[in-house]
Amino acid sequence: MKLSACMKQNVIFVSPETTLRETANTFIKHHIGTLPVVDADKKLVGILLIRDLVSQVFPDFVNIMQDIDFILDFGAAEARQPDDALLNTPISEIMQPPISCRGDSSLLRAATLIKKHNLLDLPVVDDDERLIGIASLVDIGTKFLHGWNKA
Amino acid sequence: MVNGIIALLIFIFTLYLIFSEKLHRTIAGLLGAAAMLIVGKVFGFYSETEAIETIDFSTLGLLLGMMILVALLEPTGIFEFIAIKAAQFSKGKPGKLLVLLGLITTVLSMFLDNVTTVILIAPVTVLICELLGFSPTPFLITEALLSDTGGIATLIGDPPNLLIAAAAGLTFNDFLTHSLPIVVVTWITALVLLKYLFRKELNTSPSNIEGLMELNATEVLKEGKTAIRVMIVLVVAVIFFFLEELLHISPAFIALTAATVALVWVRPDPRETLSRIEWSVLVFFGALFIMVGGLEKTGLLESLAHGLSGLAHQNPLLFSIALLWFVALLSAFLDNIPITVAFIPVIQSLAASGINVAAFWWALAFGAGLGGNGTIIGSTANIVVASLSERTRNPITVKLWNKRGLPVMLATCAVTTILFIIAYPYLSK
Repeated sequence: MKLSACMKQNVIFVSPETTLRETANTFIKHHIGTLPVVDADKKLVGILLIRDLVSQVFPDFVNIMQDIDFILDFGAAEARQPDDALLNTPISEIMQPPISCRGDSSLLRAATLIKKHNLLDLPVVDDDERLIGIASLVDIGTKFLHGWNKA
Repeated sequence: MVNGIIALLIFIFTLYLIFSEKLHRTIAGLLGAAAMLIVGKVFGFYSETEAIETIDFSTLGLLLGMMILVALLEPTGIFEFIAIKAAQFSKGKPGKLLVLLGLITTVLSMFLDNVTTVILIAPVTVLICELLGFSPTPFLITEALLSDTGGIATLIGDPPNLLIAAAAGLTFNDFLTHSLPIVVVTWITALVLLKYLFRKELNTSPSNIEGLMELNATEVLKEGKTAIRVMIVLVVAVIFFFLEELLHISPAFIALTAATVALVWVRPDPRETLSRIEWSVLVFFGALFIMVGGLEKTGLLESLAHGLSGLAHQNPLLFSIALLWFVALLSAFLDNIPITVAFIPVIQSLAASGINVAAFWWALAFGAGLGGNGTIIGSTANIVVASLSERTRNPITVKLWNKRGLPVMLATCAVTTILFIIAYPYLSK
C-alpha cells in the first residue's frame, strides 16, 4: 500500500517569509497541527508544528528543572504573551528542517518517519521535492490497520 | 639558587597553564607536580619521600568527607525543598524573597561547597521567579555573591580556607571567632547594597502568587528519610568541629567518620555516591601540595620573602591591607584556589624570617573570598549562575555584573578593611 492512497491533497501551506502572527492565525483558522513551508516553486523548505509556536512562550523552568511534577500551577508564566518583535519575525527563523516522504513510499516507512521525528503530519512530495499532499498519523495508521482485517 | 629558579619557573609556568585555561587545572597541576619531582630528583633538592610528606592528607580527608555528605544529600531534593518552603513563607514579596533565598544560600555555603550550593539553589530560584513573574537575574546574582561571602566565615566554607587553615594551623573555632564576625557585617553590607542596586527590579508585586503557594514541596523531597539522616550526621559533625581542640581530633577525622556513619546509615549504591565526588578537585589539591612543596625545599621563597619582609616588618597592618586588596583584585579575574596556593609559601617564609604573620592569613582569606565577587568570571558560583541565566529570558551579561557585582565587591572589601583595622590587634594575636 502506498502513502499517496491515504494523503490529503488539499494542503494548507505557508511561505518562509510569513510572520509568526500570520502563521498563528492560519493554524487557528484551519484547526491544524502542521504547516509545510514552501518556496515560490512549491518546493518544501521546512515544516512548522503548532508545538514550535507554543514553545516560544514555555517558561524557562521547563528547560532547567529535571522534574516538574510538583508544579501544580504555572502561575505568572500562564499569562505570558509573546512580544511584538517575536510575533513579527518570519517563520524561517523557527521552522524545522524539511522532513517529507514520496507518494510511492510504504505506509510503515511513513509512520516510522513520523515517530522518529516526533511529527504530527508528514508532508508528501513528488520527485522534485514539490509538495503534493500531507498525511497525518491517523490517516496513515487507519489505512495501515485495514490490512489487519484481511486475514 | 639555580634549583630555586628552575622550581620557580615550573611553578609560574603551571600557574600560567591554569590561569590561561590552556589545560584543565587538574592536569596542569599534575604536570607541575611531576615536573617539580623530576627536576628535584635530578638536581637533588626534592625526593619522593619529601613529596609525599608535603601532601596534607588531613585537608584532602576533610574535603573528601564533606564531599561524600554532599553527594548523599544532593539527590534527596532537600535543598529545593528548603528553597520552596522559604519562598512560600515570603508570600512572593520580592524583597523578602531576596533576603530569604540569600540567607539560605549563605548558611548552606558556610558548610557546603559554594558551587554545589548555587548549583542546587539557582534552578529552583528561576522556577520561583517564573511562577511569580519576576526576572530571576537579581536573585541569581545575589545568591552567587552571598554564597562566596558566606563561604569565608568557616573553615569548611571555601577551599582557600582549607588551604590557609592547613598552612597556618587554624582550627574551625579560629574561623568562627576571627572570620565569622567580620563576615556577618560584610554580608549585611552586601545584602543592603544589593537591595539598593536592584531596587527597581524588586519594586514589583507578584502577578500570580497561586503558582508559588501551590507548589508541592513534599513532592520535591524525593528521599526525605535519607535527607533527615544525613542532616543529623552533618549537624553532629559540626558540633564535633567546635570541640576539635578540646577532644584533640582533626577535622579530617570528624568529616571522614561522619561520612562513614552516613554511608552506613543510608546504605546507598556506593558507585553512584562516589561518582558525585569531585575527584578532580582532590587530585588537583594533592598535585598542588607536591609542587609547592618542591618550591619551598629550594629555599628560594625565603630569599624572596626577605625582600618583602621590610614592609611586612615595619608596617604589618599596611602590609595586611595591601595583601587583602591585591589578592582580591587577582581573585576577581582568576581562580582563588591557585592564588591562595601561590601566596601561602610567601607568607610561610615571612613567618620563617620571624615576622608575626597571623593577620596576613586572615587578609589572604578575606581577599581570596571577596575578590571573586567582582566579575562574572571571578568565582565558579558566578559562572554557574551566569550560564544558567543564559537559558532564561534575562541572561546575565558582563556589563550587568560590572554594575551590580563590582560595587558589592568594592564595598565589601572596604567594610572588611575597616573592620580589619579595628580588629587588627586581635587578628594578629
